[in-house]
Amino acid sequence: MREEVINCKNQALAQIMGAKDASELEDIRIAYLGKSGKLTSLIKAIKNIPEEERKQVGILINQAKNTIIEEIANKKNSFKISPREWFDPTIPGIPQKIGHLYPTSIVISEMISIFKNMGFSVMEGPEIETDNYNFELLNLPKDHPARSLQDVLYIEEPEILLRSHTSSVEARCLEKLKPPFRVVVAGKCYRFENANASNNAMFYHFQGFALQKGVSMADLKGTLFRFFKTYFGEDRKIRYRCKYYPEVEPSVGLDLDCKFCKQKGCSVCKGRGWIEMLGAGMIHPKILKNFGYNPKEISGFAFGIGLDRIVMDRFKIKDIRSLYNGDIMNV
Amino acid sequence: MKIPLNWLNELVALPKNKRVLTDALTSVGHMLDKVEIVNGETVIDLELRGNRADCYCLVGIAREVSAIFGTKIKYSPSVNLTKVAKLKNTSLRVATPLVKRVGMVEIRNVKITKSPDWLSRKLAIYGIGSVNNIVDLTNYVMLETGEPMHAFDLDKIGNNLEIRLAETGEKIKTFQDLTLSLTKEDLVWAKAGNILSVAGAVGEKYHSISETTKNVLLEAANYERANIRRTVYRHNLLTEAGIRHEKELDPNMVESAIGRFLYIVKKYGWGKFIPEMYDYYPNKVNAWKVNLDFNYLRGLGGVDIPKKTIKKILLGLDFKIFKQSKDGLETLVPTYRTDVICEEDLIEEVLRIYGYDKIPAHTLSLEIPKDITPQFIRQEEMLRNASVSCGFDEVISFSFVKEDYSKYNLDPEVFDQKPICILNPPSPDTKYLRQTLLPNLLGNCQRIINEMGEEVSLFEIGKIYTKSKNKYSESRKIGFIFWQKNDSDFKVFKGKLDAFCNKSQIDLPEYINDIKNMPLSYSYNLKLENRIVGFGGKVEDIFYAEIDLDEILGKERKYISKLWPKYPPQIEDITLSFPEKTKIGDVIQTIKSVNQLINKVELTTIYKENYTFRIWYQDPARTLTDKEVEKIRKKILEEVKRKFGGVMKV
Repeated sequence: MREEVINCKNQALAQIMGAKDASELEDIRIAYLGKSGKLTSLIKAIKNIPEEERKQVGILINQAKNTIIEEIANKKNSFKISPREWFDPTIPGIPQKIGHLYPTSIVISEMISIFKNMGFSVMEGPEIETDNYNFELLNLPKDHPARSLQDVLYIEEPEILLRSHTSSVEARCLEKLKPPFRVVVAGKCYRFENANASNNAMFYHFQGFALQKGVSMADLKGTLFRFFKTYFGEDRKIRYRCKYYPEVEPSVGLDLDCKFCKQKGCSVCKGRGWIEMLGAGMIHPKILKNFGYNPKEISGFAFGIGLDRIVMDRFKIKDIRSLYNGDIMNV
Repeated sequence: MKIPLNWLNELVALPKNKRVLTDALTSVGHMLDKVEIVNGETVIDLELRGNRADCYCLVGIAREVSAIFGTKIKYSPSVNLTKVAKLKNTSLRVATPLVKRVGMVEIRNVKITKSPDWLSRKLAIYGIGSVNNIVDLTNYVMLETGEPMHAFDLDKIGNNLEIRLAETGEKIKTFQDLTLSLTKEDLVWAKAGNILSVAGAVGEKYHSISETTKNVLLEAANYERANIRRTVYRHNLLTEAGIRHEKELDPNMVESAIGRFLYIVKKYGWGKFIPEMYDYYPNKVNAWKVNLDFNYLRGLGGVDIPKKTIKKILLGLDFKIFKQSKDGLETLVPTYRTDVICEEDLIEEVLRIYGYDKIPAHTLSLEIPKDITPQFIRQEEMLRNASVSCGFDEVISFSFVKEDYSKYNLDPEVFDQKPICILNPPSPDTKYLRQTLLPNLLGNCQRIINEMGEEVSLFEIGKIYTKSKNKYSESRKIGFIFWQKNDSDFKVFKGKLDAFCNKSQIDLPEYINDIKNMPLSYSYNLKLENRIVGFGGKVEDIFYAEIDLDEILGKERKYISKLWPKYPPQIEDITLSFPEKTKIGDVIQTIKSVNQLINKVELTTIYKENYTFRIWYQDPARTLTDKEVEKIRKKILEEVKRKFGGVMKV
């Protein structure tokens, strides 16, 4: 019996050595290890040999079997060019339904992640607001010239309205939160506007503000530059200039170089070479006083960005109306 | 504001390179909008700051140029005036505290002519048509000094003028032939019952200067800004005068403007006058004090500017420094700078002339405050990602519902609840706020179906707006909408919602039949932990569901990883047939509750009234024997028969 096993093994190894392809190897495997293979029949015959030898032979058969399996595998791997099935990789895949985030959501979360790294938290507030939070507390008393620039949508004139900027959330945070804090807000705002290519009755604002002892114009500049350079690229040029907003003093306007015309002047930048991106400044002392702070003891900055313009720029959307009217395809 | 460079150059020296000029003006707050060539002249158009009433004129911009470049301003010559309480032919009664100052002079033997070239050309740059020398001169002096003025035909208006509030319904025909019906808030110049002009905005036709005018009454005045502003917007009178009067003008400009006007009249021999100005000026405005603390400037500005530079900047801007110490300055603000009220305004003055570009950019080097982002904001982000991973596309839509979809804009719970209405909608489609996310998602869905859709699955996270008991509220919702081209199947939609719940780690809600205040062909409530958290239903062949985000906030399970079981399950398929209208969800619940060794029950196929269930029997601690399984199976069949009349098919 022992000899038979050894012979069987040697025979198999010799055949494996001589095999020329995978199918020949498969034939060899069946011939030895298949249901009625040579080695398989020896295994079956093991019950016929004397008990005292059975264990020894069993071990031997097992070794032989493992060796054959191993050698077949080795030989298979040794074929340099293994024979393959014919295959058409150009056949189209079967479409699988996946979901997409909306462009505005993508931009908001990208922007938030940059500000989070600078220690900002995220907040929200009501869209149905009172005149008090939307205007009065923000140094925008009735008849203030800046009010006509943002004619509001009223629910109950003159007190209940749809917020015209996210500064209302700034007012609510100044009232509610304990400094120091740094907050960004992204949300829907509304104004009296007949829809055209660049204005909508609803739009998104992205607002940021910080209240902390020692915050200065230099911190504001650093924060804004860090954001714009991170989001739009280190090579972009930034213009940082004086502007007027009633909510801040001193006030800042920030422009980005127009990349469409490389600052030569085009329709996107209205020939200016610069695109107005944001308004900012140090929170107005009147506002700080409205919330019980002494401007000489604690300072803060605030900035506001029209978010839709960034979304349009990022996703090459030309007409603001298509942003929220179902025109955008998800593909 | 358009600024012709030649004209500006008459008042102040300009840098040779106009780019240097416009860059500097932009930096200090007057952004260059565009450069134009008008009639061969270079005109720069500046976007002025709304609080700089003093800059809406050539002199104002010349002062800025002078402060930036340290060049001296050359003020135009004017006539010195003696102030009197009465004029020879005119008396004025001011019947309201809304008037801060009025200056008037009489000019006699006036020669009304065509304007000289230099005058009409300057006005043409502003699109102001030439009328005659006197009218044109009022406009010219306004453009130069910033003070609007008005000339009346003295012989037509006669004596006894008054400035008062109009009576409701009083009418005025403007010189542009426009008839306005006034309100009792509009401030007017009048003589008896005749309105002569709407103060600060527009003059009447009959009393204006005409070719036959012999004598002129010239007035320049200063009014309560807010009142003029309301009038200007009420009657749409954004005239050159209106644009200036609705801002905070300096009452002291009145005198210098009239003096300038008379100088030109005299120079060209257009009339005769005594240099006496009637002056109504009950509360004279003097320069006011604003102090500057160097430390505060450094702290707020984030930049250390030498004291010498600070002083030089303020002096260049016409501020008087009447006291100084090592800590700061006490200054007097020139009265035309009506925008400089507090110390921070003064700090901005110093910073803007010093240069915003010289402020260093620090990244907040202070202590990082703790993250106070509320949980609901993280929840929205998490649910947004969960929905996307379940194959839903996100939509953000208007908070308004279009007219065409208003029949879907119902509060699902409250019958007869009208949506919140905008009082002044710019269009009918922005009139009603949404009470559910359904109408807009439906609109989006139908749009895609019409375009090219095979399958539509959309979601939106957003607010809905309702009012109850005079309280407005906003609730955060997530809405899902689903449609398939062939055999739109509720089971697929429900499977997607299940997947969403799994991904968001919320328990699967119960679906309970219900009747909603909505045009749905059927509807159901979604119930979680014994609370209604949302609803769903079908519109045509489109499926919709909406979940309240606050109701599921904080109900997320903590994710715990599970290991593959050590002992294999026994799996078998059982086909059962049921009477009509049997709720299969309940059947599955019943099967599961028979024994805790039943690990999972799935519905695999439905054929007519026959339902095949795949049942997993599994004990975590050992392999179940056939006998044990058989016992459980027997119990299942008993229960199903007892409760639902279900019978096993062999």
